[in-house]
Amino acid sequence: MQVSIKWLHDYIDFTETAEELADKLTMAGIPVENVIRADDGLDKVVTGRIEKITVHPDSDHMVITSMNVGQAEPIQIVTGASNVREGQIVPVAMIGAHLPNGMKISKGKLRGVASNGMLCSAEELKLDLTKLPEEQKIGIYILPEGTPIGIPAKEVLGLDDVILEFELTANRADCFSVFGLIREVAVLTGNEPKWPEIKVNEDNDAKTADLVRIGIDAPELCSRFSARVLKDVKIGPSPEWMQQRLEGAGIRSINNVVDVTNFVMIELGQPMHAYDYDQVAGHSLTARKAVAGENLHTLDDSSRLAKGEELVIADSEKPAGLAGVMGGLESEVTENTTSVILEAACFNGPSIRRTSRGCGLHSEASGRFERGVDVTGTIRALDRAAQLLQDMGACTVAQGIVDVYPAEKQQVYIDFTPEQINRRLGTEIPAEKMVEILEKLCFNVEAQGDGYRVTVPSWRNDCTYMEDLSEEIARIYGFDNISAGTPRGEMVQGVQSARQHFIDMLRLTLSYMGMDEELSFSFTSEAMFDKLELPADSSLRKAIPIMNPLTDEYPLVRTTLIASVLENAARNFSRKNEDLKLFDVAPVFYPKALPLTELPREVYKVAGIMSGRRNAVSWNTGNDVVDFYDAKGIIEELFSIMSIENYRVEAGEHYAMHPGKTAFFKKGKEVIAAVGELHPKIAENMGFSKKCYIFEMDVDTLMKYQSSKFKFDALPKYPAINRDLAMLVADTVSAAEIEKIISKQGGEYFKSVTLFDVYTGKQIDAGKKSMAFTMQFQSNEKTLTDAEIDEAFNRIVENLRKEFDAELRA
Amino acid sequence: MESKIKELREEAAKAVNELSKSLNDLNDVRVKYLGKKGELTSLLRGLGQISAEDRPRIGQIVNDARQEIEKIIAEKNEILKAKAMEEKLAKEKIDVTLDGRRPPHGHIHPLTYTLLEIKNIFMRMGFSVEEGPEIEKDYYNFEALNLPKDHPARDMQDSFYITEDILMRSQTSPVQARTMESHEPNSPIRMIAPGRVYRRDDYDATHSPMFTQVEGLVIDKGISFADLKGTLVNFLQQIFDKNVKVRFRPSFFPFTEPSAEVDISCVMCKGAGCRVCKGTGWLEILGSGMVHPRVLEMSGYDPKKVSGFAFGLGVERITMLKYGIDDLRLFYDNDTRLLKQF
Repeated sequence: MQVSIKWLHDYIDFTETAEELADKLTMAGIPVENVIRADDGLDKVVTGRIEKITVHPDSDHMVITSMNVGQAEPIQIVTGASNVREGQIVPVAMIGAHLPNGMKISKGKLRGVASNGMLCSAEELKLDLTKLPEEQKIGIYILPEGTPIGIPAKEVLGLDDVILEFELTANRADCFSVFGLIREVAVLTGNEPKWPEIKVNEDNDAKTADLVRIGIDAPELCSRFSARVLKDVKIGPSPEWMQQRLEGAGIRSINNVVDVTNFVMIELGQPMHAYDYDQVAGHSLTARKAVAGENLHTLDDSSRLAKGEELVIADSEKPAGLAGVMGGLESEVTENTTSVILEAACFNGPSIRRTSRGCGLHSEASGRFERGVDVTGTIRALDRAAQLLQDMGACTVAQGIVDVYPAEKQQVYIDFTPEQINRRLGTEIPAEKMVEILEKLCFNVEAQGDGYRVTVPSWRNDCTYMEDLSEEIARIYGFDNISAGTPRGEMVQGVQSARQHFIDMLRLTLSYMGMDEELSFSFTSEAMFDKLELPADSSLRKAIPIMNPLTDEYPLVRTTLIASVLENAARNFSRKNEDLKLFDVAPVFYPKALPLTELPREVYKVAGIMSGRRNAVSWNTGNDVVDFYDAKGIIEELFSIMSIENYRVEAGEHYAMHPGKTAFFKKGKEVIAAVGELHPKIAENMGFSKKCYIFEMDVDTLMKYQSSKFKFDALPKYPAINRDLAMLVADTVSAAEIEKIISKQGGEYFKSVTLFDVYTGKQIDAGKKSMAFTMQFQSNEKTLTDAEIDEAFNRIVENLRKEFDAELRA
Repeated sequence: MESKIKELREEAAKAVNELSKSLNDLNDVRVKYLGKKGELTSLLRGLGQISAEDRPRIGQIVNDARQEIEKIIAEKNEILKAKAMEEKLAKEKIDVTLDGRRPPHGHIHPLTYTLLEIKNIFMRMGFSVEEGPEIEKDYYNFEALNLPKDHPARDMQDSFYITEDILMRSQTSPVQARTMESHEPNSPIRMIAPGRVYRRDDYDATHSPMFTQVEGLVIDKGISFADLKGTLVNFLQQIFDKNVKVRFRPSFFPFTEPSAEVDISCVMCKGAGCRVCKGTGWLEILGSGMVHPRVLEMSGYDPKKVSGFAFGLGVERITMLKYGIDDLRLFYDNDTRLLKQF
């Protein structure tokens, strides 16, 4: 919605500048997005007469003009335009002017001749070229003969108006009209509006009811349909003042009849339509649902096949328009039109919204119907339109109005007490003030008991509850005048769920360990699943499709977080950020069935990726790159910090990981973490040239096994004894298997075992590896002697030999 | 005898003060004069040959001489030790401007950082943190918030639909309705609900198909618009700056009445007008309002008994304004050069 200040001034006086008024309206909930001044940049442009033209000594396309700009002496201006003649009156940009096209006018010389300003073209003044005759579009803009000299050019160019551009909220349908805005301006400025008198002189010889038949076949979609007939219509341009008002509202002038329907729509908020009476078959118009497959031929000369749910206005043969959205081409008012049916109706908003969205047709009319128009306003709109055309001498008006209005709108009453309003707002606004505000907004207020009964004006469909009145009172009283308070009530503790806390801790802990957190979109695609080499029957491919995805790139909701960390790694690699330690904590979505019949399971996952240098580049950190054990160490340390204990680590199989470099952390049969090298095939699919290590965990599973309590063990009183054990075993034997035997055979004083060396290569037979463990023994009751350890040590060695053919090394 | 002692004493003093250049030299001097076979020790041993009458006196002289020599040796020892330490320290000098060995440390995402701050501020005010599903029923996302199908306000947020009745939530507001439903009707609530939300917006500098919102809801007996103002001003002054100015503008949301857009004075120009605030001096920062009676009713609360306020804010917008980030896409780009700045 946009409207010119001049149009507002037609009906109310105010002294505020456009900017001040915009601010008042905005702070009262009628947001003005922009104040557009058509005269921006025209401050130093005046009218001037070309007194004399002389040739330029040094140029054959420029001339020197002597300009009378209303000053004592003429000024000299050089111009390159070829359409200037002596005696013409033209717009002159004086020194210091800053034109709307950005050009700054300063004193200068053109080919050695002084020039003290510029003669302006229409384009330089940012005039609307489409409205100008051809000869005015190029060259200097020539003003009419007799134009006063030395006055501001904007006055003669009709550019002294200011446009307010509104960004109205969906509830204030009534403000999509000049009258609606005037009511707001009245209450905000305290001035009285001067409403125009609406009066029509009807021709008693022609009765509308005899000329036209109106019907409603779909009362759920059309609550009222009113019509008038105009005769002896003389189509022509509408008067200049009306064209200017419409232009200010962003509407192009077509002809007097169409302009009047648009003018009334903007003025009163009631969309209207004019039909060529002679082109309406049977002179009958009916609001009905379209028949599926029926042809809809609209004003924009495009044909659509009806789906069958649209509301159309049909004559006795065919649809004559898509109700509330766009009229039909056949019954369009043209220069040959001599009689007109004027329609003012009230259509169902949601239905208009569906139709307009379905056809991709949005019009000033459809926008108003979607928000809801005042059903009581049709008669007044018809009268206003007839009056305006009659005043222009463009028609005679047939007697009466045909009005089909099956269910009259009920008055809406709201009861309130000032105490209720003040309690809701936290204010102490006096009752009289509340009544004053409501009455100024045209609510009828009557005292009733301790409070009031309010009759809601017909155009305020947004007001049904006492709470709605509280808003009316608060916005006019001023939100700024309501002081800030503090909610009272029982003292409560602010908490978050254990899981939210756990996720916060998880993020912080991983970041303390050198990992950077990423946040990624929840979308994915089949193409990504292919890159991940997911088997066709993988449950991860059962991702939820989005009905209306933004692009074909991401049509699915993700089932794995690994895809996201890989995508972010890829983006970083492409930008030469090659040392990566990224993690993501986010939900993935598992449907119970597809298509979705109930909400999917949302499972929070943690995934990470590591690649590149182990340490930040520095003089003493070396250039070692991360390997499997860096990634595994993250999980181990995380588990240690979260007190996840008594887990097992075994080789595992994971679709995204190298089959020989995958570890599963397990509790019983449950895998609580998977870590491994990114499968080389997937790395290749992603275009990664460097090895990457990834991990994946499930937040709820981690939470299940974490322990927030610390366990305290008394400090030992007696010293521990350490024994080292180095052995040769087949390289298929895992460290975990050996450690299991050691722990089992360690005896009562055994405390712990740590692998401190693994070696293959020189001096070691092929197929073998050397492993060295250190074991700790300790008693809580005494200082142990070597003899007391020997037995356990020998038993360990014996069992390792038996189990793995281990060969003790010196 | 006496002159011999005096001679020795002077000789020793000279050896200590002039000839001892190192602790080793000094030790040699000590051994030479005071050692078991040292010259002064030998003199002492020769006391037996001196008459008993002179013995105490001579003995005293020898002892004095010994003590004096010990003293000057000790003094010299201190000096030489200090010098040796000095030399050792000088030799051990390193280039302290070389970088230190830092323990590894990563970074939480800037949005996580802001969200932690927001949660902390509200938790200190007694708000609990609630959650809800990201794939949500149309009922909770719209209808329970007084947004029936075909409501024009649904245009404001074009959503990603999964089925007719299930969508990717377009706001965190559905958690309001879920929280109310899970409470005893009319019991007090003070909650925030942070989370990801989804809208069918083209990905540009200020829009993203996924972003982060925090919804807030307070319900109790006698909660007023003034309380809403107080709570939000307090929050905004904590998250931005205690001097930030806050302005409430009437607006429209289907789930609140009255509704208010909340603006803060521009954090870049302090309200003078700049590119960021488009010259207005104000920045739109959150939406809020008194909970609509229909919303309370639909979730089993009685608007005649209790009232409440609700608000919703964008974590991306707050983070962008706090740190002067001018492109929202940077958050989901996850370039480590950005991540490492937070």
